Amino acid sequence: MTELLLFNVTNGLIIGAFYVLMALGLSLILNLSGVINFAHGGFLALGGYIAFTMQPFIGFWGALLLAPVLVAVLGLLLERTMIRRLYGRDPLYSLLLTFGLAFILQDFTRYVWGANGLPFTVPAFLAAPISDQLFFVTWYRLFMVAVVAIAVGGLFLFLRYTRTGVRIRAGTLDLETVSVLGVNVGGLRAYNFALGIFLAGLAGVLASGQLSLVPNMGDSLLMPSFVAIIVGGVGSLPGTLLGGLLIGLASGLVTLFWPSAADAVIYVIMAIVLLLRPRGLLGEEGMLG
Amino acid sequence: MSALVAEGLNTFYGKSHILHDVGLTVAEGRITTLLGRNGAGKTTTLRSLVGLTPPRTGRVTIFGQDTTRFAPFAVAALGVGYVPEGRRIFPNLTVEENLRVPLERPGNWSVARVYEVFPRLAERRQNRGRQLSGGEQEMLAIARALLLNPRLLILDEPSQGLAPLIVRDVFRIVAGMRTEGMSVLLVEQNVRMSLEIADDAYVLENGAVVYAGTAAQLTGDEARIRALAGATAEDWAFDERAA
Repeated sequence: MTELLLFNVTNGLIIGAFYVLMALGLSLILNLSGVINFAHGGFLALGGYIAFTMQPFIGFWGALLLAPVLVAVLGLLLERTMIRRLYGRDPLYSLLLTFGLAFILQDFTRYVWGANGLPFTVPAFLAAPISDQLFFVTWYRLFMVAVVAIAVGGLFLFLRYTRTGVRIRAGTLDLETVSVLGVNVGGLRAYNFALGIFLAGLAGVLASGQLSLVPNMGDSLLMPSFVAIIVGGVGSLPGTLLGGLLIGLASGLVTLFWPSAADAVIYVIMAIVLLLRPRGLLGEEGMLG
Repeated sequence: MSALVAEGLNTFYGKSHILHDVGLTVAEGRITTLLGRNGAGKTTTLRSLVGLTPPRTGRVTIFGQDTTRFAPFAVAALGVGYVPEGRRIFPNLTVEENLRVPLERPGNWSVARVYEVFPRLAERRQNRGRQLSGGEQEMLAIARALLLNPRLLILDEPSQGLAPLIVRDVFRIVAGMRTEGMSVLLVEQNVRMSLEIADDAYVLENGAVVYAGTAAQLTGDEARIRALAGATAEDWAFDERAA
């Protein structure tokens, strides 16, 4: 029983870590550009596939570093050519555009790599179980959580201590004032968009080592990531972090007792939070508040 | 050369025509004040000058460059500091972080000098914008604009909502900018105090310029000032206390 509980808790933490990476990227883009990026899951899958293709040439570690960068560059191109034209308009326009991009990205991966699942191999020492007692926890699971923790920690340090990070936080509340202070907010938004897509790409590479690669692998992560943002409070990145971990753990634990409710529980949590605290858990504080 | 010349500005919000052929000049090294009652179009004029609400027709020239179609950041990069109405401090950022947002053009103003001139900001550097008093927020908004090392400083109602003593401080600081060699465009409701420190004055009414001349000349026109302030000098002093 203890083992089963532990297994589900680690599962919940890992799925929560993926929600966090996805949701932080979505949150960054939503906060600064007002765009709900439905294509985020497509970027995630693309990150996994690019890593898969690059791995024979540059190895696991090279692919882990380089694939998210390439996905971010693609994100930057799409932002500069299409998405930025819809800033400041009715949010419905950007929603339709990213919804369309989601289909295009998914069919593109299906066209290039095929619809069947592909195996992504991780280094042997990471694939091994931690110990005989904890045979169900591989080193790779710990590794994923560690990489997510480093990425999230790095993001928060970046936003707190660099000038660009401070400007992104300022722009979340008042982009107009940031612009009259001499900051090119178009560039700031592009940079921020690429940063969000980088996180999606990283999540994609990490997920490929655990699940098999399929073109729609991002779909199952996208809705819970939106839920994580709402539960944590729109506009608050610490809230997004908390929300992602919370719903991940909750669905992991519920799997143990009532497996068929595992997907529903996150929506129940969202409903309760919205009833009791419509702003979300940390929604009242500003970013990094 | 003039710091700023605006000619024939016609600015719209949607379909409503707000500014009608507004023209004004800010001479270099002088303080120009733009007066007018609520809703006369003062803020819209400033927004048209800095690129936030570009005019439909007309031309804005800043330090000899046609900036009519410039984005706000490009106008700022020419050395235009803007202190917006309501101060617009970033409430979620600390004082220190607020001061990291502006583009830092080279010049005399640095964060260290800002803390020297505004010691109160140095004391509160770890406090968030939302925790500051109105006066402290105004100081921060001015300090933030100064870090750009502007050649032209544009202020939109810096005295709004401040206690009379603080208002004096703010006006003293603005007057001091002239000795720094800065040109200043000051929008104000506080007619008498603005005219005290200004060299040139404009009056807006219903989106059109109805007076252009020296501040001294306008100060002598008691009837016009009474109409602008909406009361006699004594009543005005009382209004100020009530605010």
